[in-house]
Amino acid sequence: MRIALKELRRQPGRFASVGGALTLLVVLLVVLGGFLDGLQLGQTGAYRAHEGRLLVFSDDSDLLIQRSRLDGEATSSIEATDQVAAVGELRFIETTAGIGGDGGTGANETESRDLVDVVLIGYDLGTNMVPVPPGPGETVVDQALAELHDVAVGDTIRIGPTSEPLDVVELVDDVSQGSPTLWVPTESWLQLVAAGNPSELPPEGVSQALVVELDDGAEPTTVTEQLGSTPGVEVASVSDVIDALPVVQQQSTVFQGIIGVTFVVTLLVVALFFALITLERVELYAVLKALGARTVDLVSGITAQAVVVSIVALIGGLALSTLFVSLLPADLPVRIEPSRLVQVGVGILLTAVIGSLFTLRRILGIDPAEAIG
Amino acid sequence: MPALEMSKVRKVYGSGEEEVVAVDDVDLTIENDEMLTLIGPSGSGKTTLLTMAGALLRPTSGSIKVGGQEITDLDDKELSSFRREQIGFVFQAVNLVPFLTAEENLLVVRQLGGASVDDEARDRAKTLLEGLGLGERCDRLPSKLSGGQKQRVAIGRALMNDPALMLVDEPTSSLDTELGQQVMELIRTEVKSRGVAAIVVTHDERVLDFGDRLVRIVDGVLESN
Repeated sequence: MRIALKELRRQPGRFASVGGALTLLVVLLVVLGGFLDGLQLGQTGAYRAHEGRLLVFSDDSDLLIQRSRLDGEATSSIEATDQVAAVGELRFIETTAGIGGDGGTGANETESRDLVDVVLIGYDLGTNMVPVPPGPGETVVDQALAELHDVAVGDTIRIGPTSEPLDVVELVDDVSQGSPTLWVPTESWLQLVAAGNPSELPPEGVSQALVVELDDGAEPTTVTEQLGSTPGVEVASVSDVIDALPVVQQQSTVFQGIIGVTFVVTLLVVALFFALITLERVELYAVLKALGARTVDLVSGITAQAVVVSIVALIGGLALSTLFVSLLPADLPVRIEPSRLVQVGVGILLTAVIGSLFTLRRILGIDPAEAIG
Repeated sequence: MPALEMSKVRKVYGSGEEEVVAVDDVDLTIENDEMLTLIGPSGSGKTTLLTMAGALLRPTSGSIKVGGQEITDLDDKELSSFRREQIGFVFQAVNLVPFLTAEENLLVVRQLGGASVDDEARDRAKTLLEGLGLGERCDRLPSKLSGGQKQRVAIGRALMNDPALMLVDEPTSSLDTELGQQVMELIRTEVKSRGVAAIVVTHDERVLDFGDRLVRIVDGVLESN
C-alpha cells in the first residue's frame, strides 16, 4: 500500500484524468443533491417548523392538509388525550399577496404592486422556528419573500382578491411551503379567507389539521397510538407528513434516479481507469509477485490509490460546487446541506473502493512466472 | 546442506498429443557460494528450470529443495512467502519499480511481506548499495540511472533479504562487453562474499567463464553436470 501511495505522490499526473473526472462527478452530485434538497426544503418549511410535534389530519386526507377536515368532536378528543400538553390549529390556503404600491386599492391605486403567490398559514402554537402568533392585522413573514421582493419589517402586505392589509412584524427563515409563507393567528386566517376566498372556508368548528405538543418525557409512539384511536383521524410525525406530499415523492424519485445513475457512472469511471492502469502494470505486478507480493498487497495498493484520488476529488469538487452554487441566481432552489455532503462523500468513497476491486480478477490472473522469460 | 537440490524434476505442458516436455528428469545440486552458469538454445527449458528453482512454477513431478526445504508441496501463499525470504531474483529486463528510488527498490522486498521498514532495513539497503558502488545514488529514480547502475540495483534487491539462492536471468543481454563483464564480476563477488548460491542463465558467450560450473540444457535435459 505504501508503494502505491508513493506512486501517487511522485506521479500525480498519471491520476489527473480520473481525478478530474471524479471532481466533475462530485460537482454534479453535490449540485443535483443541492437542487433536490432545495426543492424539498422549499416545499416543506411549514411542516418542518413543527418538528418534534405530532400532526393530526382526517383519515381520508392522505395526510394532505388541503383535503383534511377535523370536526370539533375530534379536536376535543385529541385535547383530552393523556400526555398531550397543547393542541393548536394549522390552516393553509394558497393565495396572492400584493407587495409595494402606494396603499390604494382598485382604481385608487396610483403605484403598481407586485402580485406574488403566497401560502397563508393560520396557527396557534409558536415553535422554535416561528414565534407565537402575532396580533390581529399582523403577520410573520417568510424570509424568502424579503429576499425576492424586498419586504421588510413594518411593510404592509395586501392579501387576496380583496387586498386585506397585514403589517409585517417579523421575518423567519426556511419556512417556505412551495411559495413564501405568511403566518397569522387562526382567527385572522378565518377572517382573511372569509373576506377573500369564502368558498375555501371550512364550516364553522371544522379545522384543517391539528398540531399536538406532547408533555415532557412523553413517548411519541404511545401517544400516537392513543390519538389514532380517535375516530376519523390519522396521526403522523412531521417526516411522515412530508414523505406523503406528492410533490416531494415525485421530486425525490426523479432526483434520486439521476443521482443513482451518476454514482453508477462514477463506479464505471473508477473501474475502467484502474483496469487500464492494471493492464499497463501487468509486467510490474508479475515482478512484484515474483519478489513475494501477495495479491492482497497489490489490490490494497490500488484501492488506496482510488480512495486517495477520491478524497482529493471530493475536496476539489466540494470547493467547485460551492463556487458554482454561489454564482446561481438567488431564486433557484439550491441548498447544500451537510447531510447531503456526507452522503456524497461516503458514496464516492464506497464507489471508489468497489470500482478498484474490479481489478482483482485481473491481478489474480497475473502469473509471477511471467517475470522471467 | 546444499542451497538447491533438484531431484528427478520433470515439467510437462499440455497432455496427450499436445504434450511438451520442457524439463525432463533433471537432477541438479548447487552448493552454497557456488555460481552455476546455465546455457542452452531458445526453448531448451532454461527458463522453466529457473522458474521452478525460484518457486514460481511447480514441477509435474520430482523434488526441489531450497536451503533444505521442500518447496513442491507449498501452496501459493507459502510460495510467495518463501520467495520473499529465500530467493533473490535478477530479471533480464531489470524491472525496477520506476517510481521508487534505488534505495526504495531494495526496501520494497521487505514491504511486500507487510513488514515495516525499520532502521535495520534501511542500513542494510544503504550498505548493499554502497557495496555495489551506488552509495551516492541511493536517492535516484531508475530513470536517472544508467543501464549498468540499474543492473546493480537489481542485484542489491536480490540480495536484500539475504536469500539462500539467487537466480539471475540474462544479466548482460543489454550491456556492452565491458559493462557486462563488470556486472558478472560483481555477481560473482557478491555470491562468494555472502555465501549465496546462484544460477545465472545466459546466452552471452563472453561471460561464460565467471561461473564455477557450466551446465548446458538441451530439450529439457541437462547435458553436463
